Amino acid sequence: MNEILSFWAQWLRPSAGLPTVQWSLLLAVAAMAGYLTQRHTGLPKVLGYSLVGTAAGLAGFSGAVWPLQGIGLFLLELGIAIVLFECGGRIPLRWFRHNPMVLVQSIAESVLTYFAVYWVLVWLNLPTQVAGPLALVALAASPAVLTRVVADTRAAGPVTERAIVLTTLSTLYALTLGSAKAELINRQSLTLMETVYPVVVVLGVSIIVAAVLALVLRMALRFMSPTSENTSMLFLALVAAGTAVAAHMGGSAPLAALLGGMLLKQLNPRPWAWPRQLGNASSLLTMLMFVLVSTVAAQADWSAPVAGVVLALIAVRLVAKATGVALGNVGSGASWKQALWVGCAMTPMSSIALLIASQFVLASPSTGHVIAGVALPAILLMEVLGAVIATVAIYRAGESSKPWAPLTRGHNGENSRES
Amino acid sequence: MSLEAFNHSEPLTLGVELELQLVNTNDYDLAPYADDMLRLMAKTPLPGSVVPEMTNSMIEISTDICHSASEVLGQLTPIRDALVKSADKLNIAVVGGGTHPFQQWHERRIYDKPRFQELSQLYGYLSKQFTIFGQHVHIGCPDADAALLMLHRMSRYIPHFIALSASSPYVQGQDTAFDSARLNSVFAFPLSGRAPCVLTWTEFEQYFNKMTRTGVVKSMKDFYWDIRPKPEFGTIEIRVFDTPLTIERAAALAGFVQSLGAWFLADQPFIPEEDDYLVYTYNRFQACRFGMDAVYVDPATGDHMPLREHILHTMDKIAGHAALQGASSAMHMLRTEVEAGQNDARWLRERQREEQLLAEVSRQAAQRFRGGR
Repeated sequence: MNEILSFWAQWLRPSAGLPTVQWSLLLAVAAMAGYLTQRHTGLPKVLGYSLVGTAAGLAGFSGAVWPLQGIGLFLLELGIAIVLFECGGRIPLRWFRHNPMVLVQSIAESVLTYFAVYWVLVWLNLPTQVAGPLALVALAASPAVLTRVVADTRAAGPVTERAIVLTTLSTLYALTLGSAKAELINRQSLTLMETVYPVVVVLGVSIIVAAVLALVLRMALRFMSPTSENTSMLFLALVAAGTAVAAHMGGSAPLAALLGGMLLKQLNPRPWAWPRQLGNASSLLTMLMFVLVSTVAAQADWSAPVAGVVLALIAVRLVAKATGVALGNVGSGASWKQALWVGCAMTPMSSIALLIASQFVLASPSTGHVIAGVALPAILLMEVLGAVIATVAIYRAGESSKPWAPLTRGHNGENSRES
Repeated sequence: MSLEAFNHSEPLTLGVELELQLVNTNDYDLAPYADDMLRLMAKTPLPGSVVPEMTNSMIEISTDICHSASEVLGQLTPIRDALVKSADKLNIAVVGGGTHPFQQWHERRIYDKPRFQELSQLYGYLSKQFTIFGQHVHIGCPDADAALLMLHRMSRYIPHFIALSASSPYVQGQDTAFDSARLNSVFAFPLSGRAPCVLTWTEFEQYFNKMTRTGVVKSMKDFYWDIRPKPEFGTIEIRVFDTPLTIERAAALAGFVQSLGAWFLADQPFIPEEDDYLVYTYNRFQACRFGMDAVYVDPATGDHMPLREHILHTMDKIAGHAALQGASSAMHMLRTEVEAGQNDARWLRERQREEQLLAEVSRQAAQRFRGGR
């Protein structure tokens, strides 16, 4: 593949550079693959995007560098920030006052996932400085995959809503602790103050950026209609600015966006009609995010011992998340069956896990290399497999507003059309 | 199947059913939470019942047998409070109103219950378009013949009921220009509209038997009439009310029905006849379309007058009976609103004019239902 690309480079002199052409064509192929995947299997479009990214990564596509940096990192962070801002806005804090068990569910599944993955990896003879960060990577579920699956299946209901909230909260913990841990990875024998300090910095800076973002949007929404195209553009521009600033100041851009969404929901309890207006620009950015993640993740070095560790991590993570959700389910208003489907819908692992892994690699190339060796294959596998499991969970929970496409094709033309 | 016998009930007793919307708190669209609400509500001992409705974003609550409007309110209040508590736990909201202002009917899912699935098979898309929300008021009748007499007398006041309860101006995100667009959806069903003008139970049985012989009808449930007899309860059931935005208004409307019924039983003011129905559909349309600003054609005299005037005139006429039934405060509440030309449809339009966002109107309606404003 590299020969072909270098051949191109000799005669093609595009105005925006060759990588732009390569990425544009890759995204075009991904768009087609996403469409065909949904059209012919009923599975979500993200699966097609991920498969194209994987194929590109395995073929040695050099358009995405690892660890992520520069424009690639910015685009990934921007994509995540947009998704997380919207997910944060789906979390009214008053819900936890009326139903504290949802918070218990969230904390239980996160704590259980962290410690279960950590202990299993240590038991498999991985050093603790690798097992800890990997446990934090495993903590992060993927709101991006889940919300795309929800959009593709046109799902709504208690399982869908709770899975999105729990996934977003796990992301909140993973981003905070992951960013702080990346700061600490090279330090030995820390005092309590030294351990807590990075968490406070990451959270503090992210909260400041989040507050500015939320307040400006709150002010704008006083005189701008939430259904206006201009409101959406304002939102996109502000999130992009926040993304560029947050990490530079020592915070986390996705975390700032997530907290910004939560804060805005508190300040402005009016309905969130405007994310609908984001439309194709947001979809394109999300697609780019999935292709980028799988392209990068596919560049991992595979070996039998690594495969064993990856499979163990995935299995323990699945069980821990399901058990945590079940533990907090008592008195939370959901049935046991719903708890099972919520646990399944939380299995995808994607861009946020990749971002956290990337932070570890940048902070400590030597340890980070080992971390990435396990994290990247796990992310790749769970981006694809997780999307399938989440889709099945939503269909089995009966929360899709349309039946599984391949089963109805031929009977109803409407259902076979792309959503 | 033959028509079941008309059971005994205490005259002028009341039973109220309210179909309610379940919406999410994110964009305030309808949300499929009926099962979850039923599960949570089953844990609280309450009067009446809570049951599923046609699609799984709807729920129906009902009172036990009540003797007055205040008793209706007394029963609806704890049910409403329990609903609100359960909804808070699930992070959803409960809303009144005859239609959800911007839901898309094709996104609805039929509730998984044999009867609803059968109806869905028979009626196709109409069953999903039946995601509309009404209040039904049962009123106890002394006997079967008296029930039919009461039914046809009440028919003259159908426009009054419609205008007073109208709360469905928006459908699929559009202002329909109707105050009660909900009833247009009911009209699509066969066997909707008015009951045949027969005044004895024997004649009604003959009609029912003829209908069952055609195979079109199996039970009384197949009639979607505006008012229908409910023999198993010993009542007639008035079905034209949109679900109001508050339980207080729902109870007041029940008080209005009871006061009318008391007037009919005490004074036997007129004998209904087939000619009453000459203007029935016109009056019904006027009330649906214009609400409080409708024109009412008196079926007896043919006089045209503002419906609002006729409602106030009727209220004056039955004030004594309302007092005897303990419905004076209910009548006072309705009268104040009629004099101001106000109903829930108008409130919804005013909110939309102010907010320019139907989802926000739904959010404010949810606040209103929980007693917030």
